[in-house]
Amino acid sequence: MNGLWRDHPIFSLILGICSALAVSNRVENALAMGAGVTFVLLATALIISSLRNLIPMRVRIITYMITIASFVIIVDKFLKAYFPTISESIGAYVGLIITNCIIMGRAEAFYVQNKLGQSLLDAVGNGLGYTITLVIIAAVRELLGFGTILGFTVMPDGFTPWVVMTMAPGAFFVLALFIWISRTITGMESD
Amino acid sequence: MMVLFVLILGSVLTTALVGVNSVTAPQIAKNAEIKLKSSVLEALEIPFQTENVEQTFSNNVKEAEKNGTAYYIAANGDFALPYEGAGLWGPIIGIMAMNPDLEEISGVTIMQQEETPGLGSRIGDAEYLEKFAGKRFTPQLNLVSPGTADGETEIDSISGATMSSKAFVEILNAEHARYQSTLGGS
Repeated sequence: MNGLWRDHPIFSLILGICSALAVSNRVENALAMGAGVTFVLLATALIISSLRNLIPMRVRIITYMITIASFVIIVDKFLKAYFPTISESIGAYVGLIITNCIIMGRAEAFYVQNKLGQSLLDAVGNGLGYTITLVIIAAVRELLGFGTILGFTVMPDGFTPWVVMTMAPGAFFVLALFIWISRTITGMESD
Repeated sequence: MMVLFVLILGSVLTTALVGVNSVTAPQIAKNAEIKLKSSVLEALEIPFQTENVEQTFSNNVKEAEKNGTAYYIAANGDFALPYEGAGLWGPIIGIMAMNPDLEEISGVTIMQQEETPGLGSRIGDAEYLEKFAGKRFTPQLNLVSPGTADGETEIDSISGATMSSKAFVEILNAEHARYQSTLGGS
């Protein structure tokens, strides 16, 4: 469960932040994206770990790619069919889960060398770490950018939204702030 | 051995995908249809609930076609015309509702756009789209500085979203001209 803090994909290893910036504008988008990434991580861990003794060395990357791509497509179809509004908000970025370094990274660094149980646990840890981060960033951005959290108006009537928070620069600021705070708290060395 | 492995894994995964696709395809098509119908009803200002979109649509709107162009007619003779064109960052697609004279706009909705969130995307805000009601294409809509629109053919541009506003109005003008030439005779 190191993925939850010490080896946190975003704060510690600075992995997977690309789509993190785009989908963290609202809490519901962050939750959906986090769920999607966690599902793909679990499915990838399941397949890669179960087949780890069968995968020929030289086609490992291809194997990861086709596995991850298939599950991402499944997530995309699922969202389009049963959650069309969320799909409209984050649809483009769901496809980009394939490029999310966290998944390929864990597959190569862990799932292909470890037992199924361990791999699944690792997937849950990384997935949760990623989801929680996204939700925290999204909570800040949605609160300041729209005045709401999960659609419920929280800010008082006179509040003027900080439009920058709905766009990429706002995401960069919040992310940088969090990396700084979390590393200060844990005293992590920068590398 | 490598090739065989990749082929087998590939086939298994592809089969799974084909399965998922056939399960979800009908629902996805239905969602797209509901979205279109909601947009038509909204442009025509026919009230509806999310649960009875289909019912309300079939009670109040007819699909029609002339000279190869598909469009919708409401019970009161208003037209609902789908439009599509190039915005600043991506396509802008929606429905333009017009009076039976095909000159005066009664409502506009946007179903899809990719303009800058918080700036260009404000063309989709209810307050902005409401400004189009009652405007006329004689012969076309003219974009003017924010807050200075006066008269039936002028539309405010949005401060900070000049290019998106411009693209949007150009699309409406072009599509209106297209419908006039294909449907004008009615």
